[in-house]
Amino acid sequence: MKRNFIAALMGLGIIVFSTVSALAHHSAAMFDETKTITLTGVVKEWQLTNPHSWLLVAVTEKNGKVTVWGFEAEGPSTLLRAGIKPSDLKAGTKLTISGHPMKDGQKAAIWLSAVRDDGKKLEPRSGFAVK
Amino acid sequence: MTYRSKIFRGSLSVLAIGVLLSACSPSNTSTAGPPASQIPERTREQNIELGRKYNSASRLYQALRDEAKGGQPLTATAIPDWSGVYTRPAIKGFTFDPDQPEGGPPTAKLTPEYQKKLEKRINDVKHGIEWDPISTCAPPGMPRWLTEPFLREFIVTPNQTWLMNEMVNDVRRVYTDGREHIPEEDRLPIPDGDSIGFWDGSKLVIHTNQLQSGIYQRSNPDYTDQVETVEIWQKKDDKTMGVDVWVYDPPVLVEAWYVRQNYLKVSDADKSLRIRYWNCGENPNNSVFQTKDGTTQFKNLNFDTKDNKEKGKP
Repeated sequence: MKRNFIAALMGLGIIVFSTVSALAHHSAAMFDETKTITLTGVVKEWQLTNPHSWLLVAVTEKNGKVTVWGFEAEGPSTLLRAGIKPSDLKAGTKLTISGHPMKDGQKAAIWLSAVRDDGKKLEPRSGFAVK
Repeated sequence: MTYRSKIFRGSLSVLAIGVLLSACSPSNTSTAGPPASQIPERTREQNIELGRKYNSASRLYQALRDEAKGGQPLTATAIPDWSGVYTRPAIKGFTFDPDQPEGGPPTAKLTPEYQKKLEKRINDVKHGIEWDPISTCAPPGMPRWLTEPFLREFIVTPNQTWLMNEMVNDVRRVYTDGREHIPEEDRLPIPDGDSIGFWDGSKLVIHTNQLQSGIYQRSNPDYTDQVETVEIWQKKDDKTMGVDVWVYDPPVLVEAWYVRQNYLKVSDADKSLRIRYWNCGENPNNSVFQTKDGTTQFKNLNFDTKDNKEKGKP
């Protein structure tokens, strides 16, 4: 009886383990690197986090509906090396941003480049270059 | 005071000043600094051959220790200047061997079983299927530790050297106080293993065992928990830290895999660069899972900021 109970718990453990998700330094396989989208919008929130940061951009569509897109970028130190500081993207900042969109159509993309309304260019991946 | 005693006292003063000046002069400190290395500089081909000559990491390490005549204790005056923030250049991506030809396969000589696994991994990526085992927030672990493109610091003290990677606040402690590895019966596989080393002049030679299985990098081979490494670290010039690496892993590698890594100093003229705490799980938008076909997908993207107060904010 006790052995069966332990076996049942172990089985449950395996199920729980196999469905657990992970937060991390992940593959970009969910993005379609053959496609690039470019959107113009306003910064809603700038989440400077490891291992990936997220820039949330509110985009007003032609029918007036506002959709929030998430643009995934590198972590804070790589962004800093790319010359992108926390104060560069305050809520309300207008910008045009490009990235590889998700394959499944969710409103998210890998952030490749952006140009702020005042002309400042923001290219996260340039942070990997050694200057 | 007689004329003679005046001369005598004056001479003593001059002598005393001379002794003091001599003690403070640069020529007296010129004896500080590391002794000459006994391990010679070798070409890539010679290092590949050296790896072939020994069939295990421990034998290669012992051979290097013999070549260095046991090495020398590091004294406070001989500590090399490894200060600064470094990173691994990502010119050709993040392959374990920076000399891997672009678009070509990894340079390791693999056993048939692991060659097959690698070919499947590369083929899966071509079809959009990829899963990274460190998506769980696990540390990259050695030897993958060498490849990650984030910031590094190297802290040298006489008895320990710390090799630090910004990613997941990862520190490899290398014991150079003469201790040996943990006895075999007490070893457990851990991400960065157990590292001991010795100094040969300005070169730090390290042997690491007790490692966990993993992958060298995405689209690169697997390694098992039998993997062991030998490294020779040295500062190549003011901006470059170099390391020769030999990896031994009998189930995977037919012979030692030799690679040469370089880490370049990051300029920080305005002193704005900081290494901040790396909290891998701080943003739920980075939560991913492995799908049934084996690829990576976000679990639950949520861009409603009202529901995400815990996320990192500037």
